[in-house]
Amino acid sequence: MAFLVRSTLIYAVPLMIVALAGVFAERSGIINLALEGIMIFGAFIGVLFVRLVQQWGWFDAAKQAGDWVSLQGFMLLAMVTAAALGAVFSLLLAFAAINLKADQTIGGTALNLMAPALVLFLIRVIANQNTLQMATGDAASWFMIKKTMFGFDKKAQLGFFASAFLDKVYLSTYICILLFIVLSIILYKTRFGLRLRSCGENPQASDSLGINVVKMRYAGVTISGALAGMGGFVYALTTTNCSSNGDVAGFGFLALAVMIFGNWKPLNIAGAALLFGLFKCIAASYTSLDINGDGVFMLANIGLNSNFYRLLPYLVTLLVLAFTSKSSRAPKAEGIPYDKGQR
Amino acid sequence: MKKFLALLLALIMVLSLSAVAFAAEGEEAVDPDSIEDNMTAADGVYKVAFVTDVGQLKDKSFNEGTWNGVKCYAAAHELSYKYYQPANGAEATDDDRIKAMQDAVDGGAEIIVCAGFLQEAALTATAIANPDVNFVFIDGWALADADGNPLENVAAVSYQEEQSGYFAGYAVVKEGYTQLGFCGGGGGTNPACCRYGYGFVQGAAAAAEEMETEVAINYSWAYGANFQASPELQTMVNGWYENNTEIVFSCGGSIFDSITAAASANDGAVIGVDVDQSLQSDTVVTSAMKDLKGSTEWAIGKFYDGEWDEVGGVGTVLGVNDGYVGIPTATWQLTNYSVEDYEKLVEAMKAGDVVVDATVLQGGDIVDVYADSDYVHINYVE
Repeated sequence: MAFLVRSTLIYAVPLMIVALAGVFAERSGIINLALEGIMIFGAFIGVLFVRLVQQWGWFDAAKQAGDWVSLQGFMLLAMVTAAALGAVFSLLLAFAAINLKADQTIGGTALNLMAPALVLFLIRVIANQNTLQMATGDAASWFMIKKTMFGFDKKAQLGFFASAFLDKVYLSTYICILLFIVLSIILYKTRFGLRLRSCGENPQASDSLGINVVKMRYAGVTISGALAGMGGFVYALTTTNCSSNGDVAGFGFLALAVMIFGNWKPLNIAGAALLFGLFKCIAASYTSLDINGDGVFMLANIGLNSNFYRLLPYLVTLLVLAFTSKSSRAPKAEGIPYDKGQR
Repeated sequence: MKKFLALLLALIMVLSLSAVAFAAEGEEAVDPDSIEDNMTAADGVYKVAFVTDVGQLKDKSFNEGTWNGVKCYAAAHELSYKYYQPANGAEATDDDRIKAMQDAVDGGAEIIVCAGFLQEAALTATAIANPDVNFVFIDGWALADADGNPLENVAAVSYQEEQSGYFAGYAVVKEGYTQLGFCGGGGGTNPACCRYGYGFVQGAAAAAEEMETEVAINYSWAYGANFQASPELQTMVNGWYENNTEIVFSCGGSIFDSITAAASANDGAVIGVDVDQSLQSDTVVTSAMKDLKGSTEWAIGKFYDGEWDEVGGVGTVLGVNDGYVGIPTATWQLTNYSVEDYEKLVEAMKAGDVVVDATVLQGGDIVDVYADSDYVHINYVE
């Protein structure tokens, strides 16, 4: 059960944070279809950063000494780098959509096409292969938090809570959850958040009240890019052993679906991401899921075809969307370039 | 604002360029064998060529092992060399492979090493079209043209992977592991992986029977069809380790990354494949090896030493008798199972006292073989 919670979080957290990235852009009035592309780019930047720093040997001493606090700091640096470059990358979309008033879906699609190509090209130049990996070791041995770090014995049996949330987890998971909460509050409870949201509903009205729509939209897209870039790296770190290959398994598009699924509202998004993550995790590990702890793998014993389980996450998403999409309400002005004269 | 943006865009370009420059510096320190992968021939002619299988050149396993053989032979004999990766990666079609091989021929290749049984159709076509160029078909068999005449310019090399798998399975059970796992690449149809898997189970069964202990094996081809790492595979193997699996045989190129990541998270152990993978992860206890590097050099050597007649047009099967399969004793992390015991087993296999069944059991066929076994319990994971 603890395993199920842990794995669900690993799938759900990148989805959640990237869906929130989408919310920030769309609430400011820009459709950010480029989430997938920015994730790919962010994953690449983060992995590249980790690889280069390892090659320079900055954290070798910490690794040797088992100083896991510094290693967590190293991971944070990589997350920040991925976020920063993700934000820069998203400026391409902001520039096209805001200054040039280009079609936002086309701009986003262009970034989605560009990112994997650019990333693969760079990886081939750098590593002479199709995957960029860490220079030494693996993600778990460098960045994973284990119970031994808190002074527990390797064989110690922890309670449910501790083994689900303190053992074999990544700090990035909690940072993302924290960021998610903080940013949701900013979006709904601060002056800045209100102004940002107003630009996605009726930018002309906002402008008449003295809000700089262009600035707000740039802010929305930049935050969006930073979150998506970071989400991309978190995805790479936790699910692909800190490697980048110009692909994030469609998580960017899934995040878009989760955003719509969650009706552009943070709480619903968190729920949707967890639901999807749960089924995704069940699909991959149903044969070794011991839900009530009695040593029986119930799901494997039902005898359903494995493809059914692999279908589940998508089936559930479709079903829920079919039932909830009627009440969904997108920001009114999203996708429409801001035109001052149109009042 | 516009200036600021132009500046930012320029910054991106500079950053990506400098990233490239950094990496180029680091490249040599990472590569253990100091031979460059990309050599530049002054005359633009590359005499020894290598065409990769599904998966990547640097998969730390099958492709890389073969490529190291090509590189080492060529460098030692001062020949020019080059690798070709068929387009479309894991989805490469025969046309993509033919194109890669033809590129190699047009690049002036005298001998082309093609890795992987999937190259059969492409190799046959290219070999017929270019009778003056010689080919080495790694993991393959003797090829013939439409009329059934053997293609004299193709030397096929295959291995008795089942023996190597047997050594690994026997060793880890003797070491004391009783909860094993097997993750194979190729979706259960790759003959080499099937032989490895069946051999592994046979070895484990033999040791379990001798020790009168029961051994449970999770046996799966899931998520490995493309020989690539994936989050799903990592989650699945995580689940195995979580439920007491102690050691997993990673049998398929880059899936190694997913499996070692899961093992490292759970303090589990891994068995490598094809080459000695102990340097790539601390979790690797031992590796079921076939000497790709040695046999590739051997095959290329046959050509340059003028002994091509011995291998051309026929399939050579290399096994324990020639010393081309086994597990590396120098780097293994086994303490209860000794090198002497291993050498005894090698001798027994050479003498024919221990015979390993080389049947290619595809998919879940292996379950039926051990359905009534008292010592081995196979849990086939679809």
